[in-house]
Amino acid sequence: MTPEPAREKEQSFKVIGKRLARVDAKERVTGEACYPADLSLPGMAHAKILRSPLAHARIRRIDTTRAEALRGVLACVTAADFPAVPLGSTIPMGEVGYDMWMVAAINMARDKVYWVGQPVAAVAAVDQHTAAAALALIEVDYEPLEPVLGILAAMAPEAPVLHEHVFTKGVEPRPKTPSNVCSRVLIARGASAPALAEAAASARLRVEVDTAHQGYLEPQVALAQVDANGFATVWASTQGQFTAELMIARMLALPASKLKIVPLEIGGGFGGKIAIHGEAVAVRLAQKCRRPIKLVLTREEVLQGGSGPAAGAVIDVAVAAERDGRLLAIEGTYRMDAGGLPGLSPSLLMQASAALYQCPNLHLEGFDVVTNKPRTEAYRGPGGIQAAFAVEQAMDMLCQELGLDPLDFRKRNAAVTGSTMPIGTPFPAIGLTTILDAVGRHPSWLDPIGTGAYPRGRGLALGYWRGTSMTSAAHITIAGDGRPMVTMGAVDLSGTRSTMAQVVAEEFGLSIEDVHVETGDSKSVGYSDGAAGSRVARTMTAALVEASADALGQLRSRAAEKLQCAPHLLRYAAGVFRAPPPGSAAISLAELMQATLTDGAVVGRGVSSKLPLGVEIGAHVCDVEVDTDTGLVTVLRYTAFQDVGLALNPTAVEGQIEGSVVQGLGWALLEGFDYAADGRLRNASLLDYRMPTALDVPRIESVIIETPVPNVPYGVRGVGEVPIVPPAAAVANAIARAVGVRVRRMPMTPERVLAAIRAARAQPH
Amino acid sequence: MKLLLSSIINGAEHSVLVDPRDTLLELLRDRIGLTGTKEGCGNGNCGTCTVLMDGAPVNACLVLALEVAGREVETIEGLATAGELHPIQSALVELGGTQCGFCTPGIVLSAKALLDANPTPGEAEIRQAIAGNLCRCTGYGKIVEAIATAARRLKA
Repeated sequence: MTPEPAREKEQSFKVIGKRLARVDAKERVTGEACYPADLSLPGMAHAKILRSPLAHARIRRIDTTRAEALRGVLACVTAADFPAVPLGSTIPMGEVGYDMWMVAAINMARDKVYWVGQPVAAVAAVDQHTAAAALALIEVDYEPLEPVLGILAAMAPEAPVLHEHVFTKGVEPRPKTPSNVCSRVLIARGASAPALAEAAASARLRVEVDTAHQGYLEPQVALAQVDANGFATVWASTQGQFTAELMIARMLALPASKLKIVPLEIGGGFGGKIAIHGEAVAVRLAQKCRRPIKLVLTREEVLQGGSGPAAGAVIDVAVAAERDGRLLAIEGTYRMDAGGLPGLSPSLLMQASAALYQCPNLHLEGFDVVTNKPRTEAYRGPGGIQAAFAVEQAMDMLCQELGLDPLDFRKRNAAVTGSTMPIGTPFPAIGLTTILDAVGRHPSWLDPIGTGAYPRGRGLALGYWRGTSMTSAAHITIAGDGRPMVTMGAVDLSGTRSTMAQVVAEEFGLSIEDVHVETGDSKSVGYSDGAAGSRVARTMTAALVEASADALGQLRSRAAEKLQCAPHLLRYAAGVFRAPPPGSAAISLAELMQATLTDGAVVGRGVSSKLPLGVEIGAHVCDVEVDTDTGLVTVLRYTAFQDVGLALNPTAVEGQIEGSVVQGLGWALLEGFDYAADGRLRNASLLDYRMPTALDVPRIESVIIETPVPNVPYGVRGVGEVPIVPPAAAVANAIARAVGVRVRRMPMTPERVLAAIRAARAQPH
Repeated sequence: MKLLLSSIINGAEHSVLVDPRDTLLELLRDRIGLTGTKEGCGNGNCGTCTVLMDGAPVNACLVLALEVAGREVETIEGLATAGELHPIQSALVELGGTQCGFCTPGIVLSAKALLDANPTPGEAEIRQAIAGNLCRCTGYGKIVEAIATAARRLKA
């Protein structure tokens, strides 16, 4: 079992750090939790989306006449029903904003389609059967264009160009011809080429990573209603109600005051529900037919171009070291497959792959490349697992070359607080050395691996993820019985209501049962960025510490008046204000609120907008057995070591780590999109796109380490993203130790493992 | 055309008009309003719509509504009695076996079918019993632990 984290042994906190059940767990196990698909409205109609059957084509004409004539059809929409969003238009999000031209194209193609499954029209009808029948009656005249599917093919100079307006960013001078390479990023220091040429040992590797999907079990869904005054409400499954509002408003040219997004329970997001996928279409249909509209994507739609999966990649790395293991150089070329529209900058994943090593010479070059496949989106530490699959394997090859223990090698080169990050700035407080020491002492590293029917191996890999902070806002209203009622601007992806109830209970000196937490809609709480980048627990904690202080300050003033005492002389503990002796008069929050109910609301406000980063670091140890007859890899044991700063709730932290690791194992061994030459996805079902079942993975063990982040309330770090970063590399390194081969393509399916084993056997020694 | 169908759902008789194309899942969610049963894929691959039909777990999306005429169906709404959670439910709550919650109703019913048939399952049997239920959040460990805990409590 997992060792108890240090924090639980301390008595300094009463609620924080405890293994408390989620405050919303009962409604989940009883089926009462309400997801948007569960909601119906009187007079509600149903929408369906017509999707492109072609991967690359110009749209000459769309005719909806026959569909509109079908009995039961209420409205049809195409791009002509939406104002054109200009190129370069963005909405606020983080440091760079979010490209709205791209969001518009994801939701409704205009003039051109870039992937199979891109929406080209939508229908509202009295029921789903009629809506589906109507789709078949919409006529779309396409001019087919040559699709380009592979990353390397798309980068070739003779490749068909997807976007005439895309000229590679990050290249000087500005290119004169458009390109499928949307951006190029270079991170360099020192001179890596001579270091590689002259080093005692070096390792080189090219890996390929197939596109994978976040695999949230709840498909995208929206319920939209527009009232007689034109005010629109959308009940949504979204990672951010404010981001969704900005996107929908921009797509429809609606003023913000005419739109409200109500986030209901979300059945998993993992990055895939940051952007909207149909919500604005539902609102437009509701406006047109004057009835509430429900849009629920099918699983096939989700997989076949109706949502954004995660980027595939082709990555080359080369690393070099002295004979004693001192790392000299890391070179990497990271080609990321954005799908049909420009994607995320590869900068973060490039930095992440090299961040945990002190290395004098770096040359990391990244490319964001478009292909005729669904536009990819974020997936838990976006790009981290792909880059680690390359770099952490190369490091392992270097260890094998030098005959060094992979853990000693990491200790020898480990980044420490203050050492230089890839971007040239010093590392904030990190506990990598502590993690590596913990690995070295742990049974998962020390126990003999044992023997089985087939060869076994143990792999080690590190992971880093920067995460982000951005903005979180919340307010606390004090109920008539003195209890804090929290409204936060973040949706609850991963137990946020529970951990935030713990924070507020701690701040008020109350128990968790005394605190009520809910997610506000986009009109009832202050602007907050979406739940992404491992930011919510940290930044919402900071916002709620501030909001608690604000509310308690207001309560103190009221108590001072009631107790006839100067406010600063009052002592507050466990829900009671107490005047100093000799009187020692006291008033509880409940009595205080009852006595001052008519004095107006007590509302404490808090916002966090520039919290220091809480970078995430993990080290994973994995034991596998490789069936050399079939290529099947069985994960026997898996242990994840992670510095979480402070575990607000160790059970929740373990839940994040275990789930994240299993997603990583799924991509490592099972999950990959299989595209036909024409751009159709051949495995667009959860039978053929195989996510791990309970039989595919062992019990994941989490070892929680706590190195608090300075200047952050409670020292909390991000948790949820980094555990998906090392698994593929850890498995690959274990396979290499078991059977002596490198499987260079992910997922490492039995077929690919077997091919690698056979190729190695066929090679003359 | 609609047809009249009668079946016992969570112990109560329901007579409902259904479209012959309706699945059991649509009957439960859209006609009777039992939305605790979720739809994750609509073709029997994810297990989120698992309910018990005459005590055996089925994917409600693969059963036609008309097939349940005269039969007993148990859904997640039927499990807690008089506000008391079933031991499987309370163990999931205590041990962190539910995260986003979308797979949870199906997992609870697969686990109930297991424990009804086998009160002392080993870990391998528990994993086998929920192998048809995908979960993307938990990594399964805490779910397996909760089902084992519930089995012990039910036996005691």
